[in-house]
Amino acid sequence: METQERPQTSADAAATDDPPDDAALVVEGLSKRFASGEAAVTAVDDVSFSVGRGSVVGLLGPNGAGKTTTIKAILGMVLPDAGSVLIDGIDVYEQPSAAYANVDAMLEGARNDYWRLTVRENLRYFATIGGVDPDSVADRHERLLDQLDLAEKADEAVRDLSRGMKQKVSLASVLATDADVVFLDEPTLGLDVESSLTLRRELRRIVDERALTVVLCSHDMDVIEAVCDRVVIMNDGRVIADDTVEHLLSGDGTQRFAVASSDIDDALLARIRDGFEVTAVTTDGERTRVEVATDSEGFYALTDLLRSTDVALDSVNTAQPDLEDVFLGLTDEGEGRR
Amino acid sequence: MTGQPASETPSGGETPRPASYYHLARAVLVREFLLFVRYPANALGGIVVSLFFFGLLFYGGRMIAGQALTDSLEGIVVGYFLWTLAVGAYSSISNDIGSEVQWGTLERHIMTPFGFAPVALLKGVAKVVRTFLTSAVILAVMLLVTDTTLQLPAVTIAVVAGLAIASVLGLGFAAGGVAVLYKRIGNWLNLLQFGFILLISAPAFDLGWTKFLPLAQGSALLQRAMIDGTRLWEFPAVDLLILVGVAVGYVVLGYAVFEAATRRARRLGVLGDY
Repeated sequence: METQERPQTSADAAATDDPPDDAALVVEGLSKRFASGEAAVTAVDDVSFSVGRGSVVGLLGPNGAGKTTTIKAILGMVLPDAGSVLIDGIDVYEQPSAAYANVDAMLEGARNDYWRLTVRENLRYFATIGGVDPDSVADRHERLLDQLDLAEKADEAVRDLSRGMKQKVSLASVLATDADVVFLDEPTLGLDVESSLTLRRELRRIVDERALTVVLCSHDMDVIEAVCDRVVIMNDGRVIADDTVEHLLSGDGTQRFAVASSDIDDALLARIRDGFEVTAVTTDGERTRVEVATDSEGFYALTDLLRSTDVALDSVNTAQPDLEDVFLGLTDEGEGRR
Repeated sequence: MTGQPASETPSGGETPRPASYYHLARAVLVREFLLFVRYPANALGGIVVSLFFFGLLFYGGRMIAGQALTDSLEGIVVGYFLWTLAVGAYSSISNDIGSEVQWGTLERHIMTPFGFAPVALLKGVAKVVRTFLTSAVILAVMLLVTDTTLQLPAVTIAVVAGLAIASVLGLGFAAGGVAVLYKRIGNWLNLLQFGFILLISAPAFDLGWTKFLPLAQGSALLQRAMIDGTRLWEFPAVDLLILVGVAVGYVVLGYAVFEAATRRARRLGVLGDY
């Protein structure tokens, strides 16, 4: 599942190839239901994916898609009803201490560290808890403090820092260990634009320097695009796509074209809708802009149709979808399938 | 961890060394020490409240009972000293677990390569050491206020009181586990602290089976050590065995309850959902 030709559906995911030999994380058939009877909610439904060593995978999905439950199940914080999770080939439910020996996590909405200790004391404490003699990674800690703009605050109690700085300390305390598999749930939550940019840049640099394997949950598409090699998109507890960012953006060859004219009336619009996948229609005074998703042949067919009806075009543009468009399109598709 | 091979990091040429149990113990104890000296208000508040209640007990009791209270004053001071130790250890461990859940740090301790049990045990030891310091202050003030003299064989007191409150640590783990599962019930669980008074008073009832309750055997032996001056090696071996057995038994039982409760919380998906 490392490289896909097209976005995978959940059915594809279930029938996926064997995970690569160097997979740091393998999730297979993970399912979790909460409550029972009429109140039962399927939070995670037969989720399978793998993450190659040294790669960064983004876990995307709308609220309630099952991302956090999936991460918590991987980390053993939630016990699944079915499925298995292997980290470095070790079953996390059978040998948790061994499986999590090189794993750390930053969970959404939690402090993840001690606010009454200083930034530096947190780094030393969590390095030790993570299984590393803190004296042996003191230089790494200094670099981390520099990279995350925390050096000046290193000896201040975390409780006295701003929300954004606390978020950075939380991330730093995770990276302070010698973990080589890291889970980050909303690492840029609460950060201003500049801090978010700095953090995503430094995060990518640290990931590359230390060849970290990262699973990153975020609602911020810019973070996903900037940091992740691959994206797993979830909806309604299932994996609905699993692909590289590039493949997701290029899709199946379909592009979006926008034509605008004052001559497009309701009858013509109906004919366009009959022959093409219209993704948006906007009007600005007498001018109508129609956006269609089609390939190059379809585009020529559209221009032929417009020419045959003597429409004078004001403009013709291509509209390249961004990750958010892809995400929205896929999750809408997921809604339709249910 | 010990025994793991150290590895070269891709950057900087730094070689991370695995942490040993020594490093783990140092980290946990240093954290506790830092919080103790940096935020003394909590400890001071506990000392003041404890002494306030002792003052009420002492002066109120003397007004009501007069000489009868004075005759049993040594026993009351020793019992109150043990009660402050027990309350300190119990509430700190049960509240600590609740706080760790709220802060999202419990998860990181559960995932540690050391395993959660050694971390929890070291945290318990740290809490006991801290509680001994504050209770020693309370004891000193009580002796001054009541003008009472007690024997203070340090080693005997440390061992007997330490084992006595180990059983309470077990109750603290169990209470922490229940709090993980059912959330905001800390105030109800804190009411259990008043049950410790009965357990500490249990030897007075002279019922054999009460020896196997938490605190009871420790209370009896501590009274003999601090009032009669009995040294550790002068106690009958059976009494010491019961003391050790009760301590180990309740720690193991309490930790088992904690494990079962956190496992249930994980099954329900409520671990960390505060």
